[in-house]
Amino acid sequence: MDSPSALDPPAEAAGPSAPLLVECVGLRKTFGGVVALNDADFNAIAGEVHALVGENGAGKSTLIKAIGGRIRPDAGTIRIKGQAQALGAPEDGHALGIRTVFQELTLLGGMTVAENLLIGREPRGRLGFIHRRRMGEEAEALLARMGIEHIDPLALVEETSLAERQIVEIVRAINNRPDILLLDEPTSSLVEREVNWLYGQIEELRKRDTCIIFTSHRWHEIRNVADRITVFRAGRHVGTFEDIDESEAITLMTGKRVSTLYPAVPPLPARDAALEAKGLRGGRLNGVDLTLHKGEILGVGGLAGHGHRELFFSLFGAERTSGGEILVGGKPVRLASPRQATRRGIDIALVPEDRKTEGLFLGMSIRNNMTLSVLGRISSAGVLNFGAERRVAEEMARRLGVRMQGLRHPVGSLSGGNQQKVLIGRWLLMEPRILLLYDITRGVDVATKHELYELVSRLAGQGHSILLYSSDAEELAHLPHRVLVMREGRIARELAGPDMTAESIVSAAVRDTAQS
Amino acid sequence: MTILEPSTNEPPPASAVRGARLGVTPDQRRILYAIVAAILLFFIGGLIRPGFSSPSGIAAVLTVACFVGLVAAGQTFVILIGGIDLSVPWTLNAGAILMMSTAANSDARMPFALLVTLGMGALVGLCNGVGIAVFGVPAVVMTLAMNGVLEGLTLGLSGGLTCSSCAAYAPPLLQAAAHGTILGIPAILYLWLGVILLASFILSFTTFGRGTYAIGNGARASYLAGVNVTRTTIILYVISGAFSALAGIMILGFGGQAALGLGDPYLFQSIAAAVIGGVYILGGRGHYVGTVAGSISLVALVSVLMAMNMPEYGRSITYGVIILVLLLAYGRETAER
Repeated sequence: MDSPSALDPPAEAAGPSAPLLVECVGLRKTFGGVVALNDADFNAIAGEVHALVGENGAGKSTLIKAIGGRIRPDAGTIRIKGQAQALGAPEDGHALGIRTVFQELTLLGGMTVAENLLIGREPRGRLGFIHRRRMGEEAEALLARMGIEHIDPLALVEETSLAERQIVEIVRAINNRPDILLLDEPTSSLVEREVNWLYGQIEELRKRDTCIIFTSHRWHEIRNVADRITVFRAGRHVGTFEDIDESEAITLMTGKRVSTLYPAVPPLPARDAALEAKGLRGGRLNGVDLTLHKGEILGVGGLAGHGHRELFFSLFGAERTSGGEILVGGKPVRLASPRQATRRGIDIALVPEDRKTEGLFLGMSIRNNMTLSVLGRISSAGVLNFGAERRVAEEMARRLGVRMQGLRHPVGSLSGGNQQKVLIGRWLLMEPRILLLYDITRGVDVATKHELYELVSRLAGQGHSILLYSSDAEELAHLPHRVLVMREGRIARELAGPDMTAESIVSAAVRDTAQS
Repeated sequence: MTILEPSTNEPPPASAVRGARLGVTPDQRRILYAIVAAILLFFIGGLIRPGFSSPSGIAAVLTVACFVGLVAAGQTFVILIGGIDLSVPWTLNAGAILMMSTAANSDARMPFALLVTLGMGALVGLCNGVGIAVFGVPAVVMTLAMNGVLEGLTLGLSGGLTCSSCAAYAPPLLQAAAHGTILGIPAILYLWLGVILLASFILSFTTFGRGTYAIGNGARASYLAGVNVTRTTIILYVISGAFSALAGIMILGFGGQAALGLGDPYLFQSIAAAVIGGVYILGGRGHYVGTVAGSISLVALVSVLMAMNMPEYGRSITYGVIILVLLLAYGRETAER
């Protein structure tokens, strides 16, 4: 691949022809001592889809929040529709026709989908009370109009999946007919089909002359929908382009050259089964059979809600099964809790989907987060050996290249990718034989993704067995040895070798669902 | 209601970064505040009434603070995992009465009575813990119900303190222990010192303490990290029950006789002491050392208000307001991070 060097960026796009809808000049924002935006400029016009790309911590989310009125910049000017604005609250943005879909969702978990969708504009009955039945109907009509059938408007938000919440959030924002729609990683929890739905919505909005600004870490998405691409690095605007390829963009984002995103798949040793599931049932699982071999990276794909989450949690003892068996190293085991799964001799570790509520303790130190899995090893008779603890944590942080100020700092102060490394580090300390990795690159920047891929590949090469779920079909097509596609709680298809492409994974996931 | 948290991704916790630079974490800073407050209160008390901050004046305040501090030890443990123990008042009261009637004026029966009483406290805690950790009853409901049950049992079994053995006094040895001094310092404070050392050791230096903080920071994540959440929760409530009973025993020794309603003030005070000492009311942050400082400042405050001849209702209002202000101030700090 002959990409230009870091100092030789591709030609920047010419200045926009239409009048500017959003214009940011010299924005600056610091949090504590950390500079999130550093003299950042940005502009966007009506009827364009504008992608913001950059590493985690490059300032994309902060810029989105500043335009949406969620935070107030320390310095600089934001002009909306030609007028300088002091946006201090999301309501200010709403008044100007700006709507934002945040990366961390803002729905109220204890309320229904309908209540969330129509919040602030609920249909009223004769006495001014909320008309419950009509609300359900209106919400259903709204979802149907947008082509969403699988979400029950009367379901509680906390009972819906991450992807469903994301969709509700997007529907709510679009329903307000914004002139400017800000989407902060809208696709991070969506699978292919839902992503296509979103593209459709974006296309509609573009026709209505809406300005759409979005961030994403998935390059093929950016290329598919964006009219212009703006690259941010370290809080600064690096350039805006109409056409730029991935390696050029990565070079601009990181200031380094990355040759290929995916490492070579390590060779597979003798086919010894490390982990087997036979006819696993319970919850959404409807008889799952699989065999994970020693040193193998086994991919799991499929649409959201088809049982991968339950599969991973069942294999980790965190979800009850109603039938079938799990074998570790050929021997049947009963896993009633994660504690049993992590026990010596079984050695299964799970890196869960939602690292903020299921994985890490954001307020606790990096060290304490990491060593939680090996407290037994760094203590005697229940008393901690701080020296040993510091040593193992330091060594793991170095091995994984965690970028931090110190082990005593809270994990919450790290960027998303580095948080993920801490979580993976916790489990590597345990020296697991079997690693269950659930969408570990979701919301992680390209450079860190690259590091994580190398890590996964290296771990497999060292003999760890890895079961890997990903919502990114590209990732599944490149990283694992084989891919299992799940549908309706069972393994519908196994793909390997030349058949293992993103397209075949997606079509295997969708095909029969469409027929039924 | 669950509100999905808005992004905490990009802004790093400013307070943490700032604190680390000074070598003091926000948690440690709160403990310092409580200690400074206690010292200030002794100083002010001394200005209002000479003798307030004399050694004997300080010893008097510390002795009362000790009772609060013992109850608050258990309360701190359960608050750290995001729980609460509302069964404190009647566990304490039942403990005092059980101790008195079991020992029945006799020093010889004291070891047996101690065992029975502490066992009763632990049993109450066990019920609380099992209800909460195994059956998933919310801590507020479980411990409040338990408090009601204990109140009924205590009143019923003691017949409103008219039972034959209820006219007894605390055994002389217990009274002597509660009132005695060693090297000029009240003996009871040595007991407290032991509790402080033990509780601090558990929280800071053991895997059990680490698990406790982890659960307070995220029960689900702790479970998925292999922490034995059920066992830890049950043990913590058992500890809380036993501490309430222990406080009941010491209060009995100090007062000589038990009364009904003896434990009532200790619910609010134990929670207040923890909060003043910087224990985050929703769990995960804080330390018993803070609670100790909180107990002392709380009691010192009440004493200062009494020295100012403030009537009872005024004192209640004052410390109610102080708790609210602290919760608001600390709540804000947490929102920052």
